[in-house]
Amino acid sequence: MDWNTEGSTEADEKSPESREVVMVKSDGEKVENQTVTISMCGSTPLLWRVAEIKKCREEVGVIGSLVGSLARQPRQNVRLGRPLEILQEEARLLEETGKATALKHKELSEHKESRSDAVKLYHARLERSYVEQCSLALEDKKAVLQRVINEKQNDHKGNAGAEQAVRERLESLEKSFSFPRSAMAVQLCTARAGFSHCPEEHAFLAADWPRLRDKRSETRFQVYKDLRSKGFYLTAAGKFGGDYLVYPGDPLRFHAHFIALCLPMDEKLPVCDVLAIARLGSNVKKTVLLCSPQDISEEEEVGEKVVYSSLQWSGMV
Amino acid sequence: MDAENVQPALVPIDFSNELLSSSELFQRRSQSHKIPVRGQKDFLPNDSVQQKACLEKILEEHWMLVTEERVERVGNLVNAEWIPEEKLVKLLTPAGKFWQTMGFSDQGKQCLFPEEALYLMECGNLQVFYQDLPLSIQEGYESFLSDETVTYLEYQVFSHLKRLGYVLNRLDARSPSLYKQQLNQPPFSNRSSKHRKRKWSQSPSFRLCNKKSTSSPEVSSGDQKGEIMTSVFLEAPGNLQTKQAFQDETLNSDPESVKAPWRNWWTNTSNEPQPDSLNPSELYWDFSCIFFPDLGSNSANCACLPPPDPSLLPGDLHVPECKLAHWHRNINLKKEHLSKQQQQRDQNRHRCNINDDQEVSQCRNWVEYLELMEKRRNQQQSERLTNFDKHEVMPLAQPRKCSSHRELLEQVSIIQSYDLLVGKPRLSDSDQWGITFNVYQPDIEFKKSYPGKPYTRLCVSSFDGPVPNLHVLKQLSFQSGDVPVTFAVVDHGDISFYCFKEFKLPTDVY
Repeated sequence: MDWNTEGSTEADEKSPESREVVMVKSDGEKVENQTVTISMCGSTPLLWRVAEIKKCREEVGVIGSLVGSLARQPRQNVRLGRPLEILQEEARLLEETGKATALKHKELSEHKESRSDAVKLYHARLERSYVEQCSLALEDKKAVLQRVINEKQNDHKGNAGAEQAVRERLESLEKSFSFPRSAMAVQLCTARAGFSHCPEEHAFLAADWPRLRDKRSETRFQVYKDLRSKGFYLTAAGKFGGDYLVYPGDPLRFHAHFIALCLPMDEKLPVCDVLAIARLGSNVKKTVLLCSPQDISEEEEVGEKVVYSSLQWSGMV
Repeated sequence: MDAENVQPALVPIDFSNELLSSSELFQRRSQSHKIPVRGQKDFLPNDSVQQKACLEKILEEHWMLVTEERVERVGNLVNAEWIPEEKLVKLLTPAGKFWQTMGFSDQGKQCLFPEEALYLMECGNLQVFYQDLPLSIQEGYESFLSDETVTYLEYQVFSHLKRLGYVLNRLDARSPSLYKQQLNQPPFSNRSSKHRKRKWSQSPSFRLCNKKSTSSPEVSSGDQKGEIMTSVFLEAPGNLQTKQAFQDETLNSDPESVKAPWRNWWTNTSNEPQPDSLNPSELYWDFSCIFFPDLGSNSANCACLPPPDPSLLPGDLHVPECKLAHWHRNINLKKEHLSKQQQQRDQNRHRCNINDDQEVSQCRNWVEYLELMEKRRNQQQSERLTNFDKHEVMPLAQPRKCSSHRELLEQVSIIQSYDLLVGKPRLSDSDQWGITFNVYQPDIEFKKSYPGKPYTRLCVSSFDGPVPNLHVLKQLSFQSGDVPVTFAVVDHGDISFYCFKEFKLPTDVY
């Protein structure tokens, strides 16, 4: 974790609006010019920051799947939270378009000096947060008591004694109020807070990206790129026995239309496999697409990079 | 401090928007825990205003949920420290409710496995520090998950089931071992529980136990196999209860029984290669070579049985001679007496009457009868011989040589049945395929010290990986004993569970 964000947090605390501005700014400008960081967990590419996840979805159409527990309600599987696991093809596309660099995680920093400074900062920040939350809690309590007084005044039924008691409590609140440390709220950060890597470290770590470039992943990537360029959204389709589920619009709102099966031109497929996947596709009301990338030499005249054939059951009466 | 102020300038990334301010923290203390419901999906996008609005609304909710950070009160958080050298998380403050199902104590310290710690971090119950700084969840993923601890895939399955409420623990040396868990399993625990009982009430169960372990082979050779197998699991060192029980037995046994060692049963097996019964890889006992005492017939007269060959017993286990009088009373010998006449009658019924044979009845004297018999024998033999000469074909089964359908089927079967587990090094593939977790159902009162029989055991694999072959399936299910093995197959965050069930075709047809 990095606690070097003094300046900006101070600005935030003045008003919630200023925070909004920062957010827009970081979404709009900063992230725009900034490459997204893909963090590798083993061989799996993950995205951790909301701004980056949002940018990838909006600009490149990277959908991926959320795999972490949802902060709001962690003990359920219906809606999940960060991190976002993305497909190898999505990661490759991000990387090839220069929008992202992949990083193998750095070992936890052992740098003693910078570490002790960071610890000091962390505690200072914690202390300040406590003081501020303390005063916020006091304000909160005062507001509640004031509201009670107002209500009693509006009541008109007298009962001055009770009102007086509340008023006394309000006056003595300043002295008697105590905000226990255990009541203080702290944030459990999801993403690493800020990046303490220096640029050289970036370059060094980026070399760790696993490059599995076999025929199959090549085929998959070509199909992915082509379908994406046609405006479809893609997610993994292992459960449907295919390579991708193909959506006509954002998967949050639309059903998938196709199950894409990536198949090199020269690969033979047993008929029973074809039957099996076609049958499966019709059972889930989706069309099976056999996607075969063309050789670049052939491509010149045809113009299509990938050939698509759809499978459908047809009844004979 | 100066250095700290310079650094942000070097790195222009500003993700401060993910660090919350004090006022936000304070407000978040009382945030709602409701999850907005997603409506029905549409089939085709049609650029209508309605659809756009719908998408916008749902995306807004989506980003709101994804953006949300975990905010907890200090008082509700358990603090812990990450120890990279040991790959463990040690608690710094007393554990919470999660201690019922997670963690273990090591030298007085409460420890969590990294996957447990990470799950609790995601739940907002635990704050893990490393060198006095709290770790983010990202750092948790990056530092805790590895091949030495639990892989990313395994953690996905772990957290998925944890979120559903299942209790999971690792299947390895640190958690209670497979052997220890088997002790706690009902089918395997018969013996140990009996021994335990004996400690409280000695005489009745003493008889019970002896009867079981000395029952005659023709009655329960199958049972015996099971018994022996369990004893292999049970008699590992450290099973004090069993040892204790057998010592009790020694004290109780009659001193006069020592003088009657007339038949040294079980010693026939001393040449067998199996005496090292502690090795679980030697579970295959050849019961045609191990003789069990025949106690049903003549030997019923003798007072006691000599002790079994000590080379067959594990460790310092002493089994004294066994007095038969105790359990002889329990055998119903009467039934045997009664059945003798009936048996004879039965036998007579099955023997065919020789006078029914036409040819035999035509014989006028004994000589002619013998000649007839001789003739028939020769005829039969020559018939058979000519058959063999002509076709070079052997009958698969000789008539009257099989007493049951099963025997006949065994003789007829040309393809030998093959046990996948015999002759191959046990669990050689375990580095690729292995059981990772024990799973216990959510509703059961779970005790870490006595987890009992797991609901299932998990083997985690990926959709990109290979399908397990039959050998792997067999090995894993053998390793797991009578607990089913479930395969959790992960596809980009989507987890499917599969399990293979064994099915035996019936072979005996009557």
